[in-house]
Amino acid sequence: MIQIVNGLVYGSFLYVLAVGLVLIFGLRRVTNFAHGGFFMVGAYVSYAAAVHLGFWTGMVVSVAALALFGVLLDRFVFRPLSKEEPIVTLLVTFGLLFVLEDLVRTIWGKDFISVAAPDALAGSVMLFGSQFPVYRLFVIGVAVIVALGLALWLRATRVGLYVRASSVDPVTTGMQGVDTDRLSAFVVAIGTGLAGLSGTIAGPLMALSPSMGGYIIIDCFIVVVTGGLTSFTGAFVAALVIGQFHNLGLVYLPEVASVIPLLIMVLVLGLRPQGLAGTGK
Amino acid sequence: MNGSKRVLLSIASAVSLALALPGAAGAAKEPLKIGVPTALTGTYSALGDEAKRAVEFAVNEANAAGGADGRKVEVRFLDTEAKPELARQQAEKLALEGFNIMTATIASGEVLAIGPMLNRWNAMFVATINKANDITGKQCQARLFRVNRPDNSDAAVVQPWLKTRKEAKWAIVAADIAWGRNSGESFKAAAGATGKSVVSENYPPFGSNDYAAHIRKVLDSGAEGVWVALAGRDAITFARQAKQFGLFEKVTTGGVSFTTDGTVKVLGDVVKGIHTIVNYSATLDTPANKKFVADWAKAYPGEAPINFQGETYIGMQIILQAVKRSGSVKPADVAKAISGGTFETILGTQVMRKADNQLIGPNFFGLVEEAGGKLQPVIKMTVPAELATPVPDGSCKL
Repeated sequence: MIQIVNGLVYGSFLYVLAVGLVLIFGLRRVTNFAHGGFFMVGAYVSYAAAVHLGFWTGMVVSVAALALFGVLLDRFVFRPLSKEEPIVTLLVTFGLLFVLEDLVRTIWGKDFISVAAPDALAGSVMLFGSQFPVYRLFVIGVAVIVALGLALWLRATRVGLYVRASSVDPVTTGMQGVDTDRLSAFVVAIGTGLAGLSGTIAGPLMALSPSMGGYIIIDCFIVVVTGGLTSFTGAFVAALVIGQFHNLGLVYLPEVASVIPLLIMVLVLGLRPQGLAGTGK
Repeated sequence: MNGSKRVLLSIASAVSLALALPGAAGAAKEPLKIGVPTALTGTYSALGDEAKRAVEFAVNEANAAGGADGRKVEVRFLDTEAKPELARQQAEKLALEGFNIMTATIASGEVLAIGPMLNRWNAMFVATINKANDITGKQCQARLFRVNRPDNSDAAVVQPWLKTRKEAKWAIVAADIAWGRNSGESFKAAAGATGKSVVSENYPPFGSNDYAAHIRKVLDSGAEGVWVALAGRDAITFARQAKQFGLFEKVTTGGVSFTTDGTVKVLGDVVKGIHTIVNYSATLDTPANKKFVADWAKAYPGEAPINFQGETYIGMQIILQAVKRSGSVKPADVAKAISGGTFETILGTQVMRKADNQLIGPNFFGLVEEAGGKLQPVIKMTVPAELATPVPDGSCKL
């Protein structure tokens, strides 16, 4: 049972990172290869702020800084390139990833950094008869809050309605008087802000390094594609399924554990080419 | 111009040429070109950076002293990301560009990919960090040398340590790469030889983000001790997560390349009290090492050389001495000078065993504790060179 909770932690972590990709793809139709870079920058910004201001302020600073970066990214990269072939934007984001890695390497150096969990989350609790870190439960909690928050925002607010409309048909949505450029900037900011949030929660879980985004982004793309590219629900289910099978694979089938997420993606796309919850559009 | 003037002019020209030629020949002496295909990015990037600094230090030191055999020493680094296939490509690029005396690669799998190509590339390689037994075992090569301690040497150190331990049941967590597998097998053999049992074997993928499943397996296995063979980013991520699960408090922990000077600096108290193989330490009390440590502190103020830097510097010392001895920078000549040679290193006088190209050297075992005002791996047991470098098992056919 405790191994299932462990799988839930990894799945939750994947979801918080992957859902940012879903948001950006949904509005801008951009396959954002730099997302792993944003995650990495988020982790470093949070670490730098936390050294002076504590973990929680570090989290706020990281999310805000990355959201601001998202606005600039949308204004000066995604928007000017929106009329170009998708491969152009994809290549630009790929290049941006290298720029971000070099930037972080220049500022913080190449040495690994390890971040301790905040005092309030540093202990452990008994769960199914085993000692379980509180911080890992916090990661699950963050994913639940993000999932519920996004669902409420998209389903119960006017801006959410515009986002859903614009992700289906941006031209018609624009003709109805919605400022789709402003809307896109807002959504990209939320997407990159979530990368900042996931970078922050990654700090006490894994070593910080300029190339840390590369270790996680492949699993994120697998989540997004398996979930159906633009579906938030699909990404949520895919992240939990992949996190679970990844973890159980490590326990029961360690020899093939690393390819299990890929096998799940191939299986899902074979049965439903549009993904778990995609519309196929 | 009359006859005598013509003769005088000819003599003067000849004298001038004779005077100029040795100088011209000296200036044209071929430089020593060191190629370093190493991990500058990725899981082992910090390790690659450590090795890079050691090579740079040795190169600067040699050039400041007039070069190697009067030759300028040049160095070129290319990134391998610690991936064997990329390492092979980068090493080939270096060899083709003339940087064909190579060293300081991080992962064993990289060296095993480079080794078989050395003759074809007209290159040679000195391993300084790589532990897989096969490098000087069944995949040994005439132009492939190793100066650091292999896994079977670490096992030779672990065995006497295990004898002193009361824990009977052990678990293994090692990276799923050539070195990790090798290290796990070596530990298992040492455990078997000392009457201990291994109740859980875990080989997480290289570059893992989450070790929770493996940590849980170790905790559930009933193991009283765990042996960890993870390095670089893997070591830091594992240690942080293991601490959160209370693993280090529940079982005795030991490891190799796990709690190095570098990882202890990053993790601090998280790894205090962990037992560790120490392949090199700046605290080793030899005159040559003291000088090296003092010179290092001048080059990098406030710093002491750490394990991979000490080992890589030994590799550079041997290359430089072999170039001087052979009077050549041709890989075949330098390799010939290294094979079976005796060298002065920071660990004293050491011999490169001709049978398998393994440098015979001592090995150490220690504990992460406070010493000299800082937390660091501290040597508690020294195994002399003849015991710490097991005799060749016959698998190497040179």
